[in-house]
Amino acid sequence: MIELQSIWFRYPRQRSWALRNVSLVLNRNEYVAVVGPNGSGKTTLLKIASLIYRPVEGKVLVDNRDFWSIDSDEKLSIRRRVTYVHEKPVLLRGSVLHNIAYGLLIRGISREKALEKAKSMLKIFNLEYLIDRNSRELSAGEAQLVAIARALVLDPDIVFLDEPFAHLDREKRSILIEVLKNYREKGMGFVIATHNEYMLSSVIDRVLVLEEGVLVEDRKV
Amino acid sequence: MLFDSEVFEIVTRSIAISGTATVIASLWSLPLSYFLASRHRTELAVSIIEALVGIPTVLIGLLLYFLLSSQGPLGFLHLLYTPQAIVVGQAVLVTPLIVSTSYRVLRNAVEVYGELAITLGASEIQAMTIALRESIPGILASIVMGFSRALGELGIALIVGGNIKGLTRVMTTAIALEVSKGEFEKAVMLGLILVVIVVAISITLRILKRLSTY
Repeated sequence: MIELQSIWFRYPRQRSWALRNVSLVLNRNEYVAVVGPNGSGKTTLLKIASLIYRPVEGKVLVDNRDFWSIDSDEKLSIRRRVTYVHEKPVLLRGSVLHNIAYGLLIRGISREKALEKAKSMLKIFNLEYLIDRNSRELSAGEAQLVAIARALVLDPDIVFLDEPFAHLDREKRSILIEVLKNYREKGMGFVIATHNEYMLSSVIDRVLVLEEGVLVEDRKV
Repeated sequence: MLFDSEVFEIVTRSIAISGTATVIASLWSLPLSYFLASRHRTELAVSIIEALVGIPTVLIGLLLYFLLSSQGPLGFLHLLYTPQAIVVGQAVLVTPLIVSTSYRVLRNAVEVYGELAITLGASEIQAMTIALRESIPGILASIVMGFSRALGELGIALIVGGNIKGLTRVMTTAIALEVSKGEFEKAVMLGLILVVIVVAISITLRILKRLSTY
C-alpha cells in the first residue's frame, strides 16, 4: 500500500506548484485511472507515488513506513515492488529481449531464466516477432508495449503507466486492455494516467481527477 | 619524393603525441564530466569550462613555457622542448572540450536512463552503469573530437615543443616551417595528410553518432 500524505511538489527553479496538498491511498489489486488536462500534474503524481520524485512537502508511506526516511537498501527493496513506465518509452540499446530481461538480470536472476520469462512476456503481448529486433528500430507503439512488458515481467505489486495508449493503434490498445484484464487475477495493482478514462472503463475500479495540481475528485467506479 | 621517411615519422609522432594527450586528458575529464552531470547546480562550473574551449593555443603554450622554462616553478622537470611538454599542453587544451561535450551526453543519460534505472529497481551502481553504457558512443565521439583538436593545434607544439627535427616536430609545426622556407609542396602535402586524418576522424564521429541511436 502506498499512501501520499499532504504532498506538495514543484520542479527546481519553478515558482508554481505542480502538486498541491494531494493525499490519497493506492492499494495492490486496484485499477486506478488518473485523469486531468495537460499540466494538471498527472505525471508528477505518478512519479511521486512510484517513488521516483521526492516531494517538497508531505510524506510518502509504503506499508505505513515513511519511504524517504529509510536507508538506501530498504529503499531499493521497496522500489523493486513498484514500476513506472514513461509516456515516451525509454529503451536501452540492444535487442528487445535484452530490454525486457534487463530488470530481471539486475535482480540477480539467472540469464537463462530471465530470457525465458522475457520470451513469455513477449508472447503475452503478441510481440514474439520483435524478439531479436534492435530496440531503436521499433515503432512508437511497439516501443510502448515493450516498455510495458519490461515493467510487467518484474511482477511488481503496483505498476504505474503514464499515458500508455498515447502511441498505440487500435489493435495494440486492445492487446493492452486484454493484458490489463488478465493481470487482475494476479493481484497486481495499476495506476494509469490518461486523457481518456472511457478507454479504460472496462477495467478500472477508481478514478482520480487532477486539476492544476489539486486532487479534485476521487471516486469509485 | 614528397612522402619520405621524415614525413612518415612526423605523422606518426603527431598521432602518438596527440593520442597520448587525449588519453591522459580523458582520464580526468570523464570522471569530472560524470561528477558534474550527476549533480545539481553545476551550471556555473560548466559555463566556465565551456568558455575555456575557445582558449587560444598560444596562450596555453605561453603559460606552459613560463612554468617549464629553467627559471619557472617546474623547470627542474626539464620538460621544455620535449614531446612530453607538448603532451601536457595538448592535454590541458582538450580538457575543456572533452569535459563540456561528454557532460552533455552524460547529463542526458543520467536524467533519462538514471530515472529509467530507478523504475527498473536498479541500485545506485547499476543506475550509473546503465547511464554510462548508454553514453558510450557519445563519450567516444567526445574523445575523438578532443584528439582532432589536439592534432590540429600549432601554438603549444611550437612554443613548448620547439619544432626540433626528429624529436618534437609535428605536422602543424612542420607545415609552418616548410611555408617559412618556401617549400610549399611539402607544406601542402603535410596539410593534405592532416586534412585526411581530420576528415577520417569526422567520418568516425558520424558513424559513432549513428551508432548512438542504436
